[in-house]
Amino acid sequence: MRARLVLQEDVLKIVDLLRRDHEVVAPFYGRGRDTFFDTVTDENLDRVQIHIPNPYYPPKRYVLPHIEQLFRIRKADGSYEIQSTYDQTKRAIFGIRSCDLAGIYHLDRFYLGREFRDPYYARRRANLFLVNVVCTDTQVDINDECYCLCTDTGPAAKAHFDLQLMDLGKGEFLAVAGSPAGEALFSAPFFRKATEEHVERRRRILSEVRHRFKTTTGWFSATVRYISQEKVLEKTWEAIGSRCLECGGCTYVCPACTCFTVTDRPTGPNEFERVRLWDACALYGFTRMAGGHNPRKAVHDRRNRRFFRKLAHYFIQRELSMACVGCGRCAEVCHGDVGMPSTIEMIRRATTEYLAHESAAH
Amino acid sequence: MAHTLTTCTFCGVGCGIYLESQGNRITGVYPSMSHPTNRGRICVRGWNVHEVASSPDRLKNPLLRKNGHFEEVTWEEAYAFIARRMHEIKVRYGPDALGFYNSPRCSNEESYLLQKLARAVIGTNNLEHGTGVYCNNSVDTLCEMLGVPASTNPISDLLDSGVIVVDGVDLGMQLPTIGGWIIRAKLQGAKVIVIDARRQRLAETADFHLQLRPGYRVALYGAMAKVIVDRGLMNLPFIKAHCENYEDFLRDIQAFDLVSVAENCGVPAEDIERAAIAYATAPSAAILYSTGVAARGKGSIRALVNLALLTGNLGKPGSGIYALTEHNNLQGVCDVGLLPDRLPGYGRVEDAKCRKRMESLWGVPLPTKPGLGAQEALDNKQKKLKSIWLLRYDPVNTAVFCNAAETLAEMELVVVQHLFMTSTAEFAHVVLPTVAFGEEEVTFTSTDRRIQLARKVIEPPGGPRPAWQQLTQMANALGVSWKYADSASIMAEITQVVPFYSGATYDNLGREYGRPWPCTTEHPLGTPRLFEDMPPQQRFKFGTVPKPFASFGPTPDYPVAVVFGSSLYYWHQNVLVKHSETLKRELRVLLLDYPEGFVEVNDEDARTLGIRDGARIRLVAPHGASTTTARVTPEVRSGTIYVPFFVKEVMRQITGEGAFEAVSRTKPLFVRLEKI
Repeated sequence: MRARLVLQEDVLKIVDLLRRDHEVVAPFYGRGRDTFFDTVTDENLDRVQIHIPNPYYPPKRYVLPHIEQLFRIRKADGSYEIQSTYDQTKRAIFGIRSCDLAGIYHLDRFYLGREFRDPYYARRRANLFLVNVVCTDTQVDINDECYCLCTDTGPAAKAHFDLQLMDLGKGEFLAVAGSPAGEALFSAPFFRKATEEHVERRRRILSEVRHRFKTTTGWFSATVRYISQEKVLEKTWEAIGSRCLECGGCTYVCPACTCFTVTDRPTGPNEFERVRLWDACALYGFTRMAGGHNPRKAVHDRRNRRFFRKLAHYFIQRELSMACVGCGRCAEVCHGDVGMPSTIEMIRRATTEYLAHESAAH
Repeated sequence: MAHTLTTCTFCGVGCGIYLESQGNRITGVYPSMSHPTNRGRICVRGWNVHEVASSPDRLKNPLLRKNGHFEEVTWEEAYAFIARRMHEIKVRYGPDALGFYNSPRCSNEESYLLQKLARAVIGTNNLEHGTGVYCNNSVDTLCEMLGVPASTNPISDLLDSGVIVVDGVDLGMQLPTIGGWIIRAKLQGAKVIVIDARRQRLAETADFHLQLRPGYRVALYGAMAKVIVDRGLMNLPFIKAHCENYEDFLRDIQAFDLVSVAENCGVPAEDIERAAIAYATAPSAAILYSTGVAARGKGSIRALVNLALLTGNLGKPGSGIYALTEHNNLQGVCDVGLLPDRLPGYGRVEDAKCRKRMESLWGVPLPTKPGLGAQEALDNKQKKLKSIWLLRYDPVNTAVFCNAAETLAEMELVVVQHLFMTSTAEFAHVVLPTVAFGEEEVTFTSTDRRIQLARKVIEPPGGPRPAWQQLTQMANALGVSWKYADSASIMAEITQVVPFYSGATYDNLGREYGRPWPCTTEHPLGTPRLFEDMPPQQRFKFGTVPKPFASFGPTPDYPVAVVFGSSLYYWHQNVLVKHSETLKRELRVLLLDYPEGFVEVNDEDARTLGIRDGARIRLVAPHGASTTTARVTPEVRSGTIYVPFFVKEVMRQITGEGAFEAVSRTKPLFVRLEKI
């Protein structure tokens, strides 16, 4: 079996191991409850945290940056030189959560799994080593907004990682390899033999951790059905839209959101760069066409579009995964409390009530 | 990679954000979850600030106009030129021929030095931030009535409010983080009252939308006050203990008859009554209005502060007056004295005692008369000004109250400090390039008085210098030995000069999330909520209530009231927004869709008139007529049209007035709409 035991005092040695040929990012505390992924250096190594609130700024930016240069154009002698800018740095994310892993998987399907393979994404992804840490600390790792149980994406990812670490208590961590690259690490001496007893402890901890979540049954299925069958009333969308302040935050923080825009900027006389930036279908201009026509002018039409993309059966089937990973960030970032959990509830309530009323009337 | 906690540079909320930087580039941005004001949320502008900050399109070196075009010169040559010209102008025309103006987005440090340069080095009070014409009424009124020219409660208090009144500011567009607090407060049971001729986003979920006709604010508040008094809902213990002029107020309020006010302002009487009762009976209630880029007469500000005094809504959680500043440092630039009639800390220029205190701190005699504000300066009707210094200010684009281009073209010396080559900079004799947000360590003061650090995250490109450093070097070139090694030492001086900043050292500010003033050496943690420990001798003043004027209504020939807007589309013109693809698309898209400008027409009115969105229409007023394009939207009240500030030609044609007069009218203008 591809599982090993690691003692607590040896866990950060994995970071050291990876640092030999990767740029390693790991979670650190900022001010107060703020946390972020940052590059591990000799100076900050002792501040790497294993149990820590999931960093808000999503790790999807290691495969899809907030802003990235795609290529440079230089005008010379009447013609144009174009030079692509590829990021081929070998990178390892130490401490990515199961929900965020599911997000990267969803992004993989979008950027690599279809007719057009994105060369920028592909290079970053090929050079990425993922060390998943299972959320087990109910005080710190998991918060009230988390709902990975509802989306079946956590707290322990079943796949898509190179290495998975889980705190079993008593100073012991279970390490599971998810890929040949992960398994290759096991040759290091601090990976010890794991036993059935460890696996049993893992199972038991996971079943206890489930109780920490506010809800364990997903109301997703009802909402997926209503949305897919177009039973949601216009006025429900209007109620959702009336609380949206069009900040784009839900899209920016979502591990499974893929949208981007592209722009050219001058970098000097006769020199330009083309950059790609995160974009959001929450924004008015996202669907504006040249000429001014905009099929989704009203804010509730854009909310409708978002939740259709996230929850309609057509998309789940197309991507073989739901575009929601239960991380809860959209609930935290939203000014008007219309993140996924609240919206699901609003849709489910309003539509169930309406349908019950309809069937009672007949 | 580095993650630095800093403060957003756009609006007056002052959200806490992290800037991510890699090498010497800012590569990302995201909200701070722990920041007490925004708690993990920011708006679309904040989410794209990293793109603005990394724009490669900026000025690198000082520019000097030689033979009609700009040439790059050294800093020494630029300063020497300016010093020589300033000296010549001062000698020939006197110190009051020079003026110094900035933008409410400038930092505390550079603003403080700008007014010190004007006052202590040149010897003039001709200085102001560009939005003074809009917010000075608020500063004066709040000083007069409350003793403090600022919001009284922290933004986070809104969650504790039982009733929230939003007056005339579209929070969803201008200050979304505050809009969010209100939406969430409502979800927890608060009642929201929106007083606005426009059906703005918050009105969609408000409990009361008092969609009044333009020009009737004072009447509406008067009627609400009378309802409260008639029903005995005022807070008499509070009034007796702390308020002056109550008798006069009581007497004046009698003139506001609910039914006739309702008829005149177009709001059902029962809505006014229920809103007033809700406000007065809530355990605590808050009122929010805007002070920046939205001209407001003193009467209507007094009227709303009167309501707070009448009901004792000060000092407790969830209560208060929010004099919202729409720019990141409008509060700060006022605090540090960018006002022609007030010194740093708000002491009046004409008050000998205040002046003496400043003279002893600065070691020089100071000019005794109030100077020219930005509007008078940029209008320059009497041609008094010969030299203008503009710090981060782009009046050619954003100043509605004057024809800045004309005025600047006539100046003998125009000095512009800016990041980009703005339309205003085209008129300069000297352009000095400043560093950008994230390239210097400075402070901004938010709308709820929080003095916060905006951190240095990357090195500026070779060339531009911090504005505060340029001002220091300019003073030196003028022969005065200013020595500010860094921005922290400027703040150290501000702590000596502005009493309610006395504890606001960078050290203290950097410990948590800035400090709300008063932040003094006795109270170094700051004061989130004003008037909390209300001492028995605390005094407030009821403001004089102007008489309700008779209906100046529409006539059959001119039935449509014109609302001249200034703040709603402000960010569309802002230079920073031009440098972000997303923000350009989101905010400036209206300029693309309506390239010849537009006025906004209510959708029902459009149907009646027989026009569609984008149609050309004629506005006919008694004075003149204007042809423009209609933007049809249900947000505008039926019977009104909304004229954005940047369609200056339309304003001029139908009012015959300068745009500023149009924007600051208290009585609306009436027009007729004609289909073309």
